[in-house]
Amino acid sequence: MRRRDLLLTGSAAMIGLRPRPAAAFVREGDRKTLVFSGNQPVPVLDPHVKYDYSTRMMQQSIYDALAKYVDNPARVIPWLAKNWETSADGLTWTFHLVETAKFHNGDPVDAEAVRYSFERGLKLNKGVAWMLKDDLDPSGIVAVDAHTVRMQLRRVFPGFLSFVPWWFIVNPKQVTAHQANDDYGQQWLAVNEAGSGPFSIRRWDPQAVMDLAAVADYWKGWPEGEQKRPGGVIYRVIREPAPRKAALQRGEVDMVTDMTPQDYDQLAKTAGIKVSSNPGMTPFTIMLNTQHGPTSDVNFRKALAYATDYNAFLQIENGAARLLDSPIPAGMFGHIAVPDMPRQDVAKALEYLAKTQWPKGGVTLEYAYVAGLEVERQIGLAMLNALQKLDITVNVTAVPWPTLVARGLKAETAPAMIAVYVTPVSTDPDVVASQYTSSAAGSYWGMHHLQDPELDKMVAAARIEPDQAKRKTQYAAIQDRIVADQPAIFGMVEDRRWAMRDYVQGFDFCPVRLTGEVDFYPMWIAAS
Amino acid sequence: MLGVLSRRLGLTLGMLFGLVVITFLITNVAPADPAALAAGPDATPDMVATIRHEYGLDKPLPIQFLRYVGDLARGRLGHSVVTGHAVTTDLARFLPASLELVLLAMVFAVVVGVPVGMAAAVRRNRAFDHLVRILAVSGMALPEFWVGLLLLLVFSGWLGWLPTGGQLSVATAPPAPITGMVLLDALLEGRFAVFAEALRHAILPAFVLSLPALAAVVRVNRAEMIEVLQSDYVTAARAHGVAPSRIVGVLALKNAMLPTLAMIGLRFGWMLGSTVLVETVFDWPGIGLYAVDSAVAGDFKPVMGATLAIGVLFMLANLLVDIAYGWLDPRVRTASS
Repeated sequence: MRRRDLLLTGSAAMIGLRPRPAAAFVREGDRKTLVFSGNQPVPVLDPHVKYDYSTRMMQQSIYDALAKYVDNPARVIPWLAKNWETSADGLTWTFHLVETAKFHNGDPVDAEAVRYSFERGLKLNKGVAWMLKDDLDPSGIVAVDAHTVRMQLRRVFPGFLSFVPWWFIVNPKQVTAHQANDDYGQQWLAVNEAGSGPFSIRRWDPQAVMDLAAVADYWKGWPEGEQKRPGGVIYRVIREPAPRKAALQRGEVDMVTDMTPQDYDQLAKTAGIKVSSNPGMTPFTIMLNTQHGPTSDVNFRKALAYATDYNAFLQIENGAARLLDSPIPAGMFGHIAVPDMPRQDVAKALEYLAKTQWPKGGVTLEYAYVAGLEVERQIGLAMLNALQKLDITVNVTAVPWPTLVARGLKAETAPAMIAVYVTPVSTDPDVVASQYTSSAAGSYWGMHHLQDPELDKMVAAARIEPDQAKRKTQYAAIQDRIVADQPAIFGMVEDRRWAMRDYVQGFDFCPVRLTGEVDFYPMWIAAS
Repeated sequence: MLGVLSRRLGLTLGMLFGLVVITFLITNVAPADPAALAAGPDATPDMVATIRHEYGLDKPLPIQFLRYVGDLARGRLGHSVVTGHAVTTDLARFLPASLELVLLAMVFAVVVGVPVGMAAAVRRNRAFDHLVRILAVSGMALPEFWVGLLLLLVFSGWLGWLPTGGQLSVATAPPAPITGMVLLDALLEGRFAVFAEALRHAILPAFVLSLPALAAVVRVNRAEMIEVLQSDYVTAARAHGVAPSRIVGVLALKNAMLPTLAMIGLRFGWMLGSTVLVETVFDWPGIGLYAVDSAVAGDFKPVMGATLAIGVLFMLANLLVDIAYGWLDPRVRTASS
């Protein structure tokens, strides 16, 4: 064979290797299975032990809760509970359960299952426990009858209901049957399920793929109708954004999350692909170390806040973001646009700087960001550029998340500036306001280490105020107070975006879900 | 020979203990708090304390070390703080996928590298030789992470010839785990379509993983061949009219292969280490990806387990090479006795 013939044969063989353009979704008979891809694995499934966006997305698919967050603006709707009522003093909550709900093994979802699940979550003291453990004691949860559960709170907590959707109900019979060494079935439930949700596990490789089958006789039915309901959902982990984008383009997956702003813009222009862009509720802030170094001086912090080029933030996001006008993001109860929210004003920044020990600048500050987050890196460069006008040098350092948190938890080691996203898991403003209290130290969202006793009192009072009108006024004052303290540079709220094939239907955005998280229940594929 | 073997075994055990000490120290001096990370971002201090106590992380470091060594002696590597899984179970699950990738890469590196090195030596200082040397240097210098992403973009994103990652497409049910190696298990089950699909998925990661070894094999083999081809016995063979192909392919290659063999042993260990990068790019569910995911989560026991597993395999590979070397080269046996 001549060399040219060999080359031609080789080329033909390579072309033969090229797969024919395939439909992205997987077919199972007359059903279609949606394939979704994100960057994060699902290491453990136990709904009372761990949650992050990928884990919760799977938990939400497999389990049900008493109530559920839907829509934008977010609202809590009844789910396993058909309705509920509170006592006049606000201390007792009574939930009435639907009678038709059943677990995947056929057992009924009854009041005892609800009681056991809340008790399990509280006693394990992991994952979701922090949301209710100060307000609800396991002994305060009573199964009144088969379909009624009463919860007695330790103190008035108007935000109680906003956390209930995070507490998934497990089948106590299955869990206790697999209990080992009083572990509440943790080892078993980490890799198995005992839920009543719209999907059940078909195949699970924690590092790579989770394949869920739709429950044909799901007790709540399917919003798109039995005809259109999917055969299941597959979550595929692709860690790098470039191959994830390629997978969507070449039809290996139907929907992706966690892409760069540039990728989303490019995908939006691609035929057959649509991008859903939604105003998020995850504030991006640059936390300032309020206890050590120059940033311990509130005037210095004000100088930084006024020197910041906020428009650069929006440019970095290609416009897919909104500037924060308050520490509490828009869409949350009690949000106000704080009148004195700093915007770039170099003259004012210099005025504040003149009141500090460093009137002419001449200091170096560390801006630490999570290694690998490109937007945070670019914002660091924008800060470096903006603070040159105050003769302040910025060291932009990439730090792995575990190391950043470890450093940030102690005021002595916390960098002067830390770039952080904090997703609120409730529509109750307390979840944000409490991030600026002295009790927040020890959590990653408290890496500013602010100590303001007056603010602490204000937040504590607003938290338990039953009168919503009064509460609204209290939170307005709290927002003013936080901005006056300036424990952070309040940056922006990014749009939450997903790119998907145009035949993907039923996507419902809700800002209370974690960044990247999708509710698969109402989704289906409209393609032949 | 027995002396060589016992000395090497003793040295390997010593190195193993050193590795245990170093991995334990490195993972424990890192500033991250595994309990805090496992508890989640919103956890309160008492929730973190619960996890710290559950996994014995509240004990002093020397106690933790003694417990770890004690567990190791009983074949236990502890539990993941994030998942609660036994690390030994996880390793048994993920190691075969990595070994499969490494073996594929190694076979490719040897099958391609040895003939190319030979050909470059025979055509020394000609265009082919220059090209091979440039490619060999590039193969060693280019970061695998970058090459992997680039090849993914070209062959998966643009040309659409190969899949974007993983071992199989999401719609394909994997074969029953007999050996844990998908390719082998597919063959054992007689599922040839799955075998073909798995092979397509393995092409890019195995190629990228093989690049440094391929470059090293080419360079070493070329250099050894050049030296051997100039030796007296080759000149004598030529004078006796032995066919050039037999001189190069049999007489010279046999002697030139000894250093290449040592290189293969070394590269086996390096390749296992490189799986950390390659498996991350290609989402290959092996021990490297397991180590990366665990490190990102600050989950130290799996990181230590993966490091130990890679270290032990590295040492075993070197031990086997030493034994093979002694068997192939009588001078090694003579020197040791």
